[in-house]
Amino acid sequence: MAALLRPARWLLRAGFAPRLPLSLRLFAGGPGRPLAVPLSVQALPPARLYAIAAQNKKDIQEEPTSSLRRTANQFDWALMRLDNSVRRTGRIPKTLLQKVFDNTCHSGIPGGNQALLLLRSCGSLLPELKLTERTEFAHRIWDKLQELGTVYDVSHYNALLKVYLQNEYKFSPTDFLAKMEEANIQPNRVTYQRLIAAYCNVGDIEGASKILGFMKTKDLPVTETVFSALITGHARAGDMENAENILTVMKEAGIEPGPDTYLALLNAYAEKGDIDHVKQTLEKVEKSELYLMDRDLLQLIFSFSKAGYPQYASEILEKITYERRYIPDAMNLILLLVTEKLEDTALQILLACPVSKEDGLSDFGSFFLQHCVTMNTPAEKLLDYCRKLKETQMHSSPLQFTLQCALLQNKADLAKALMKAMKEEGFPVRTHYFWPLLVEHQKKKNVQGIIDVLKGMQELGVDPDQETYVNYVFPSFESVKSVHTVLQENGCLPKSNTFSQAEFRSEAVNGNLDYILSFCKYATLCFVNLWVYFQSFAALCRSMNIDLWSKITELLYKDGRYCQEPPGPTEAVGYFLYNLIDSMSDSEVQAKEERLRQYFHQLKEMNVKIPENIYRGIRNLLDSYHVPELIKDVYVLVDKEKIDSRKTVQFASSDLESTLERLKAENQPIGDILKQLILALCSEENMQKALEVKAKYESDMVVGGYAALINLCCRHDNAEEALNLKQEFDRLYSSAVLDTGKYVGLVKVLGKHGKLQDAINILKEMKEKDVLIKDATVLSFFHILNGAALRGEIETVKQLYEAIVTLGLTKPSTNLSSPLVTVYLEKDDLPAALEAAIDCYEKYKILPRIHDVLCKLVEKGETDLIQKAMDFVSHKQGEMMMLYDLFFAFLQTGNYKEAKKIIETPGIRARPARLKWFCDRCITNNQVETLEKLVELTQKLFECDRDEMYYNLLKLYKINGDWQRADAVWNKMQEENVIPREKTLRLLAEILRNSNQEVPFDVPELWYEDEKDSQNSSSSTSPVESDLQKDVLKACRGKNAYNIFLKAQEQNIVFNSKTYDLLIKLLLSMSTHIKGFTLNDAANSLLIITQVRRDYLKDALTTLKTALDLKQIPSRLAVTRLIQAFASNGDVEGIEEIQKMVNGLEDAIGLSNMVFINNIALAQIRNNNIDVAIENLENMLTSENQTVSPQYFGLAYLFRKVIEEQLEPAVEKISIMAERLANQFAVYKPVTDLFLQFVEAGKVDDARALLQVMVYSWSSGAPILQSLLGLIPELAEKEEVYSSLMKSYVLDKDVTSAKALYEQLTAKNVKLNDLLLKRYAFLLKNAGEPVPFLEPPESFEFYAKQLKESKENSL
Amino acid sequence: MAALAARSVMAVRTSVNRPVAFVRKIPWTAASSEVREHFAQFGHIRRCFIPFDKETGFHKGFGWVQFSTEEELQNALQQENHFIDGVKLYVQAQRPKVLHGDQTSDGEKDF
Repeated sequence: MAALLRPARWLLRAGFAPRLPLSLRLFAGGPGRPLAVPLSVQALPPARLYAIAAQNKKDIQEEPTSSLRRTANQFDWALMRLDNSVRRTGRIPKTLLQKVFDNTCHSGIPGGNQALLLLRSCGSLLPELKLTERTEFAHRIWDKLQELGTVYDVSHYNALLKVYLQNEYKFSPTDFLAKMEEANIQPNRVTYQRLIAAYCNVGDIEGASKILGFMKTKDLPVTETVFSALITGHARAGDMENAENILTVMKEAGIEPGPDTYLALLNAYAEKGDIDHVKQTLEKVEKSELYLMDRDLLQLIFSFSKAGYPQYASEILEKITYERRYIPDAMNLILLLVTEKLEDTALQILLACPVSKEDGLSDFGSFFLQHCVTMNTPAEKLLDYCRKLKETQMHSSPLQFTLQCALLQNKADLAKALMKAMKEEGFPVRTHYFWPLLVEHQKKKNVQGIIDVLKGMQELGVDPDQETYVNYVFPSFESVKSVHTVLQENGCLPKSNTFSQAEFRSEAVNGNLDYILSFCKYATLCFVNLWVYFQSFAALCRSMNIDLWSKITELLYKDGRYCQEPPGPTEAVGYFLYNLIDSMSDSEVQAKEERLRQYFHQLKEMNVKIPENIYRGIRNLLDSYHVPELIKDVYVLVDKEKIDSRKTVQFASSDLESTLERLKAENQPIGDILKQLILALCSEENMQKALEVKAKYESDMVVGGYAALINLCCRHDNAEEALNLKQEFDRLYSSAVLDTGKYVGLVKVLGKHGKLQDAINILKEMKEKDVLIKDATVLSFFHILNGAALRGEIETVKQLYEAIVTLGLTKPSTNLSSPLVTVYLEKDDLPAALEAAIDCYEKYKILPRIHDVLCKLVEKGETDLIQKAMDFVSHKQGEMMMLYDLFFAFLQTGNYKEAKKIIETPGIRARPARLKWFCDRCITNNQVETLEKLVELTQKLFECDRDEMYYNLLKLYKINGDWQRADAVWNKMQEENVIPREKTLRLLAEILRNSNQEVPFDVPELWYEDEKDSQNSSSSTSPVESDLQKDVLKACRGKNAYNIFLKAQEQNIVFNSKTYDLLIKLLLSMSTHIKGFTLNDAANSLLIITQVRRDYLKDALTTLKTALDLKQIPSRLAVTRLIQAFASNGDVEGIEEIQKMVNGLEDAIGLSNMVFINNIALAQIRNNNIDVAIENLENMLTSENQTVSPQYFGLAYLFRKVIEEQLEPAVEKISIMAERLANQFAVYKPVTDLFLQFVEAGKVDDARALLQVMVYSWSSGAPILQSLLGLIPELAEKEEVYSSLMKSYVLDKDVTSAKALYEQLTAKNVKLNDLLLKRYAFLLKNAGEPVPFLEPPESFEFYAKQLKESKENSL
Repeated sequence: MAALAARSVMAVRTSVNRPVAFVRKIPWTAASSEVREHFAQFGHIRRCFIPFDKETGFHKGFGWVQFSTEEELQNALQQENHFIDGVKLYVQAQRPKVLHGDQTSDGEKDF
């Protein structure tokens, strides 16, 4: 429980009432006098306060037990926030209160204590708000909470009264009482006291007396509070004499006037500007041993100022003792004074504040400046205040701070004045100071506003930079072109080429390739900042394919304009390459290694060259990305001709070599030049030569030479040589230390080549010589281990890992340990993989790759092992972790039903971190279906942030540019009643806009954006038409659209397609159907397609049924789409239902039976029922009564889908099926289809394998081979085909065909191999026919072997 | 299978091996060029990135400065105080994100 209640309870028990801590007093409006309430001073007796605290407790206890903790937590939180704020700053910022309020509202039925807390904060604790606003706030809270079901008691009414008093709210006390009576709540003493105060505040002594009389009849005691109120009442009624007399009356009644009474009197004098009486009274108070707190004095200052006597403030200030809690009180008063437009007094108090000014670091007064800005204090005044704060060293940068406030509150004029002042005072005015102003206009698409800001910048001599244009100016315009025009018209187009650069960058970022290319071709601009230019280019290129990379690179290289400068084209391309690689992350580069290699080779073929220095930069980058393998590919691009002229220090190796020989001949020392030569050869990646040189001049080798050579050998994967060099090096320089990278290189290459012990020795040496282990080194270790794991070298992984960890080179981490598991996963040895993971946990408390292990286990259906893994995780990390692990594994492997069961486990609740992890994983790997399922399945998950889930889904759709699915998300969210956060809406809007779709939610002008083009496109339409069309568009936001549509039909008006689309969308989104509304065939078909697209398959099925019932003939496309959608959901029943529905209509619809066969099979495969699918297909093709004759039994669709979606096991089984059907049943259509699909999918290897299997396995396959040759004439070129054909004829003893083949081949002059001739001869001889050529003398085996060898050699 | 391994490699985020300083409490008055200018005294700045909030036009008070070499980064880190526009910056080496490689690192315990 927060600090507020604890002392209160303690006090209650202790039973005595000392001064309470400040915050407590402020909250309770207790014994202290809230500052903002001149003369409405009410002392709440301490007992009352405790009662509140006690009541709070009671409230909590009365809550139903289930929500008790939650409500209590909520209250704790709210209390803590408000309490902290008051303690630090003496106030509650409006935003904080609003936040707590909103939070409370969302927490269900707010408890009475929460209501009280909120209400009580609406008075003097809000000095930044005008009095009226505070009361409004209180009323808002009051009504809202009541609406939410909070039950008010008398404490709430009293709190409200207090707020009224503090805010000097004029209200009728009798009405208030009536209201309470209505609510059946008995007013208590506090109520009456406050009502008296309310009368007194307006000087209504008569009213106050009435209440007082009432109190007396009820025998309620009259307290000091009442007397204090009466003082105020008499004073405000203009009767000072009677006000003063109250003190005597009190004493007569046996009540000694306390500080509150005197304060009331003091305030009364102050309001009259009676400084003398104030002084006298103060003295009297001092003498009477009463004690006025600083905050009482502050209030006196307020009374003076408010009444128009600010001149007396300084006299009171002198009396302030600056007690410890002064500052928050002073802050509160300062803010209040500013709110009341008494800024000058506020400044006076501020400047008097005792703050340490020595270090000049802690600024004081920001709150004042900020509030001045909020309250629209004139700029001149503010500038003056800034100057004073600066002079007194209270604030080091008041101008800058005030400017920030002005910008945050979008006060453009003030901001401008401040910036002008800053400029005059010699402070820099920076470009980004204008961005907040631009942002505001941008949000409203206020072009004029933007122009004004740009003009303002011009006046202040600030040039907008590229970012200003790209991020803050361009987005408000339709196109970059229009910005150009508008700026030109307004005379704020800069003279420099910043604008053009920005224009270029903007287009590049948007991926407008056409623009870029044309820009490159025609622009005559000289780019000052090549760097930026290449950066944008590189950004652009990352998203494109290699061909485009090459195209752009070529353009850069060939186009003379990028090389006007001396460096020439090599420079430009080099920078480009550098930026391209630099802009990619290391994982990206690793992933795209092959693509990059291709690209470099393509560049090489295009004869593109890059300068050597940039090559070195790229080399360093690649090194740091752990892809040194690419270095040699970049090296081939280096412009060797230029090396000499550009870098004088760097000699070509050939020069160095001749120098070396000369020196050697002259018997001079060669150590240095030898090292240079070795280094040069290393940088040329010429290992052979470097080793030769080293061997030749062995005796003169130095440390550097060895190091470079060792590294070179490692790079070239030459473990043997690297190890030799290292050993030699150790012998010569046993104490020398190589740098970390070289050691790591050695470990890598030695490990790779099975020299495990040597690798471990290197690791030991690293430890002994205390080699610096950087983060990068740890990463390298991971790469080494992972490489070994991927190669399946269990021992290597284990031993190296063991060595690294036991030597203490680095701590075991999840990542570093993952290869231990990977190595078994690679081998599909799941028990070992699981064991390895568990082992890791036992040893190091980390569980690497458990998700991947589980996925594999699930895939393989290893129930026992899954159980084991789950028991382990559950035991070690908790049941919830286990459930999530299992859930993700099922999701990942497509076992959605199981996943669903898991996530429906009672008691499971949302774990945002885990969910986020899986979402990110899906997004990174672009697993749309998996993520969709995750979102779907977590719908009912307790505490699941639905908006966040959908946000992730949208992120993925955005990557794929899939606006249809994004649009479906929007609908699903509505269905699910999810309130999207702004960022979600923004993302959705962005996706839709990027695909040129309307944004269907309240981003005002966007809804109608297409209005323009609809008018443009239908320039010939009559006004009535376009009006009606507009009406429909408008009505789509309401529910009227259909009526207008009917009206249009009556008038025979046809809208454009977009309008219909929108209308259908609307009708779809409406839950209630419109009576008698039927769609025609085409519309129903369209509806089905739309529903399918949105994944409303059930609805689509219903629509289809409706259409068929109406004797409509739906389009083939619609039915096919629906069937395909069911197939991709694995819904076999759905497809069968359609099959039943359209039975007999197939011809009318134009639906082939194969559509069903294909899709049912696909659906079964999707359900992992591959065997069932295949069995069905085989049965259909081989059974006696075939529905479809084999030559029409096209399975191309099924094959394509299976190949496309990489359902590998299915592909494999289907291949086998196709082969079997061909081999055993002579059904060739499937195998042909499969072959063609392989070819189409670019899986040439699979296609070839299939073909070869077929060709070689058919022992008597002559007819097939013939038909195959007819099918694919290109095959005729293949020798082995004819060999096979001949072999078949021989086996069939088909002399005629063999003869024909022989003649055909000799006529074509095909060179025949000996085996073929031998076979032919054998056939002829057996048939007793003459052999027309010399029969090859050796055996069949001999020629077969010969042929095989020659084939191998040619490969 | 290889894809799985590749993913685990992907999980190791990039910044680990670059000499990057993470800078916090950057005053609003300073943008990337000011920060770059300040840190240039310690070495060659390869990149300086201060993310701006497109909704407000202000930056978020933090950013990254990438040096050419580890030494330069160390130079910057060794300096006790960094001030821009009279405001003290908080400079630290960018924390490697190596640990994000696997799900078990999010450290949640249940039940």
